[in-house]
Amino acid sequence: MRNVLDAADLDVDALASQVDAVLNDDLYWFPVRHHSAAVARCLETVISERKPKVVFVEGPAEAQELIPFVTDSQTKPPIAIYSSYRDDNNVLGLAGIASPAADIPPRFGCWYPLLAYSPEYVAMQTANRIGADVIFIDLPHHALIKRSDKTSALPSSVSTDAPDTVDRKHSGHTPSDELIIESGFYQRLAEVAGYRSWNEAWDSLFEITNADAEQFRRELATFCLAARLTSDPRHIQNDGTLERERHFLKTIRETLSRRKLKPQQAMVVCGGFHLFLDRDDQTAPPPCPEGTVYTTVVPYSYFRISELSGYGAGNRAPQYYQTAWELMRSGREQDLLPEHVVALLKRARREGHATSAADGVAVTQHARMLAGLRGRATPILDDIEDAVITCCCKGNPDDEGVALRRAIDFINIGTKVGKVTSKLGRLPIVHDFFAQLSDLDFGEVLGHERLVKIELDKRKPDEERRSVFLHRLRFLEVPLAVLTEMPGTEASSGLLFRERWSLKWNPKIETHLVEQTLLGDSIEAAVLSKLHEMVATDSQHAGVTCAHLRRALDMDLPHLVVEVQAACGSAVDADAQFVSLGSALGHLVVIDRYAVYRNLRRTELADLILRCFDRACFALPDVASAPPEQHAGIISALQSLAELVLRGDRDDIDRNVFSSHVRTAAAQSTVPFLRGAFLGLLAELREITSDELAGHVASFAQTSADQMVFAGEFLEGVLAVSRTSVMLGAESLVAAIDQLLKVAEWNVFLTMLPRLRAAFERLHDRQVDSLAACVARKYGLTEHATDQLTELSTSVAAAALLADIDRRVAEIMRKWSFS
Amino acid sequence: MAKKASPAADTTPPTSSTTSEQVREPAEVRYADQLEALRQHDQEAKPRSWRLSPRAIMAYIVGGKPLSAEINGKKREVPITRKFFGDDSLVERAIVTLASERALLLVGEPGTGKSWLSEHLAAAISGTSTLTIQGTAGTTEEHIKYSWNIARIIAEGPTPQNMIPSPTMVAMRGGALLRFEEITRCVPDVQDSLVSILSDKAIAIPELPDANMIWAKPGFNVIATANSRDQGVNELSAALKRRFNYIHIPIVADQKTEVEIVQQRSGELIAQYELPVKINPPILQLLATVFREIRQGKTSDGTSIKKPSTTLSTAEAIGVALDSALHAKFFGSGAVSPGDVARNLIGSIVKEDTEDLNVLKEYNTLVARKRALNDKSWKEFHDTLATQLG
Repeated sequence: MRNVLDAADLDVDALASQVDAVLNDDLYWFPVRHHSAAVARCLETVISERKPKVVFVEGPAEAQELIPFVTDSQTKPPIAIYSSYRDDNNVLGLAGIASPAADIPPRFGCWYPLLAYSPEYVAMQTANRIGADVIFIDLPHHALIKRSDKTSALPSSVSTDAPDTVDRKHSGHTPSDELIIESGFYQRLAEVAGYRSWNEAWDSLFEITNADAEQFRRELATFCLAARLTSDPRHIQNDGTLERERHFLKTIRETLSRRKLKPQQAMVVCGGFHLFLDRDDQTAPPPCPEGTVYTTVVPYSYFRISELSGYGAGNRAPQYYQTAWELMRSGREQDLLPEHVVALLKRARREGHATSAADGVAVTQHARMLAGLRGRATPILDDIEDAVITCCCKGNPDDEGVALRRAIDFINIGTKVGKVTSKLGRLPIVHDFFAQLSDLDFGEVLGHERLVKIELDKRKPDEERRSVFLHRLRFLEVPLAVLTEMPGTEASSGLLFRERWSLKWNPKIETHLVEQTLLGDSIEAAVLSKLHEMVATDSQHAGVTCAHLRRALDMDLPHLVVEVQAACGSAVDADAQFVSLGSALGHLVVIDRYAVYRNLRRTELADLILRCFDRACFALPDVASAPPEQHAGIISALQSLAELVLRGDRDDIDRNVFSSHVRTAAAQSTVPFLRGAFLGLLAELREITSDELAGHVASFAQTSADQMVFAGEFLEGVLAVSRTSVMLGAESLVAAIDQLLKVAEWNVFLTMLPRLRAAFERLHDRQVDSLAACVARKYGLTEHATDQLTELSTSVAAAALLADIDRRVAEIMRKWSFS
Repeated sequence: MAKKASPAADTTPPTSSTTSEQVREPAEVRYADQLEALRQHDQEAKPRSWRLSPRAIMAYIVGGKPLSAEINGKKREVPITRKFFGDDSLVERAIVTLASERALLLVGEPGTGKSWLSEHLAAAISGTSTLTIQGTAGTTEEHIKYSWNIARIIAEGPTPQNMIPSPTMVAMRGGALLRFEEITRCVPDVQDSLVSILSDKAIAIPELPDANMIWAKPGFNVIATANSRDQGVNELSAALKRRFNYIHIPIVADQKTEVEIVQQRSGELIAQYELPVKINPPILQLLATVFREIRQGKTSDGTSIKKPSTTLSTAEAIGVALDSALHAKFFGSGAVSPGDVARNLIGSIVKEDTEDLNVLKEYNTLVARKRALNDKSWKEFHDTLATQLG
């Protein structure tokens, strides 16, 4: 360590005396890292022994009143303190910048998650047990929001970041951790010790230590001071650290003075980095802007606290550390390795990965040896994971090890969901839901299990707001409304803006809303979080990501629209699946219709459509012989591409690129249905004539019976994509089918019949009429003659009997499910 | 079949005085100075029969600080160079496995350095990397266990002196590491002869009633390699799989490292062929970029492209670099150009499946053409490749 300190240009003696000065202060400071079980264990001991009258905790000052609810016996972690701020009078000048419109007040919120072994939670519980008061000393998050200077847009991080808690920039670390990671000291230490991550470094240095509480405190304090002294001062200045520390000091001094307490009667629990704040700093902390502040405690989940959720709350394995915490408290630390390994292998077996007890032995031995080689007395999570992969994965971990990795994630993270005492009252999201129902005049559905149908025209502002609200509920799967009629695709018809909904009250609504609390304290926040997570999850799927963009528009989330639009670009570039790209194109074309109405950036949208089109064309031959379950998606994608080409309103859409790839796919395809579709599309594009297309149909007449039976599938493929070519080439098509049916033997005909029927069922009425007229002409039937054909010269009873037989045949045919 | 068998129980490392007229020297000879320097400084506990401690072996493989050591009676500073480029934790896991009950199977795409790592591990742990069995479809159980001198058997009958030990037996007697290359090329029956060797640590010799068991000394273990492209051909049995810890060696993860490897290895090969040609870094950068992007099916700006059916390992890139140098020397201007790279690329990418031509065509159309607009190197690469592809 001394070498590392020297290499980081630190004076070791000066460092030690600076640490001594803080640790020997009359006011007792204890450094923590959020969600560290080892810190919590030491802290619990220290508080129990020192029995202070007041414990200052780095928690949000605005949530001071919530502490009794956090420590209530009915409350079970994981939980989170949620704090939100609404700038009602636009005192920060961010309306329209941090909110969708100038007349909508910007809202900011942040989460402070707490686990059973979070040092802050343990401090609160222990203080409660010994009768000490807990005071939150952290600066309210909204005091850090920068005012608009009217020349620059709001930095995106300001809107949602909470100091030292959930960082939504997906860095995976809290801001304090980031400062440490960036410090010269840590960088040098990681290089020398070979730490691959900050988590590995932390666990090696502090989580598996056997040091007593005071020794631990000194080691952590020294580490944090070395990091602070080698951090970028600009970062500390810009990220709000100094402002927050000023608030710490002010709160502590005022409280001690007001309560007439000596410093020795109190203690401070805060991030190790803050232990070395400037005690001589006389600057006042920034004032909190006026507005509405709301705080509450909500149930949280292990998954949301885990780094895997994308929220970077600073815990990579909540369940693993929970087990460590429980075993530590019962004096069974040595059981952590076998217990975790056994749980993991058990889960792996459930995931379908064969593992044995011998594997368990090998994994524990390997983990211990790895830890030894890496200079650790006890294996940490990294060693265990490496050992599991080495001993149990028989191949590439990204391939053969997928089930194993799933099991590792499952066991590391756990599934626990917290509970909040019922004394706290109705949750904010439920409150928001009822408030919006009332505002939007949906009162008639409240509490009555009666179906209400409504039609909305989104061009009218009131109805647009109602539509947005219903889309949001639908997205959150709140069982209130069903979209019964989707908007059309043409703006000119006006149907683009019309929707029909069915609404019916459901007793499960409130329960479902409570579950959504994990996502946010309001419907909008929950929708934003959920969509945000989905966009991150689906980042490689163009079709799904573009569907998200459409959702973001329907749900009026302008900030997210920009983000999702960017994600669409990446997804389109990343995705090489034809169906997905075709689906993306379909969504983008619809979104393009909305573009003017929604103030979307059309240039970027046009570029996106072009990229999507080009990539879909290149991907097309890959699906030339796709299996039947993909056919519907392929046809839909082909239609999306063809529609864009046939519209011909864009010069940059290269018709030749599309047609050449369709031609390649037709030549390569061994699947009659798809070959029919590709050739049908070429006819639609006028790349081949209707006679040539008919020739392909007729060619089945020249084949053997086992090939001829596929004529129905081929024709179904043709008719699945044909529009005008069927009308224009009806004569030759009818002739080809006629030729085919004449040579087909009865059994062959019966075999191909279901697909032939299915083929004609794909046609619109006008196309059916056109083909029927051709058939009539071919057989010399005039309009008059066809009229005669329909005349029934039998008795009424016989006609009724025939009708009955026809009905029964139809029923039987339906049961056969030919289509 | 047995590739090379050292004399019975002789696992003494060759010294650097071994003749340098060989085309290729084993690792323990090439890096004898580094191994000796590490040995002189090694203060840590070693597993039984190991020549170095796990931490010293780690330093030998991934490189470390230069060490002052006495080599051939003279004190000097010996640099400890990096032998394996990639994730260091893979090497840690490999070393730990070799010190445990289980054998080690290095698995990965061709050209990812499995044999290279295996050779260096054996050299550092046992002092010899030549106790090797090369797995093929023709490998038999005798190659793995032992065989007999038939002429002497006829004359004298089975005696220990008439037995020809396999590399396995030599490794067992000396407490050394056996290298088993391409294990999945062997048929399953032959592979399974390893089961008893790995679990009982012994070979039974029923022909010798008085000396019918050869027991392995501590330190004996097996490092096998398998090509992931061969998976499913001669899949290891469940019993054998259980006795191996698998370590997957991925293709080099970052471009910078790959360029370094290509530069270093192609430089060595060019020197070996005595070619007065130098490949400039921008050309190597271009070569590494093309390989990476086609291999990953994704360009640096995030565009997905088709992947070929062949593996584009770093070894292949080194091959293209050497071919380009040879082409430039004998048929070109003497300096390797982007056009030379383009000309020699096709053979590396299009091997078994002519569909791979379309992969190159797509890359040239979608990626290289765009870059050619602003970059002369890419323009030459694109134009040459377009001409070659027709």
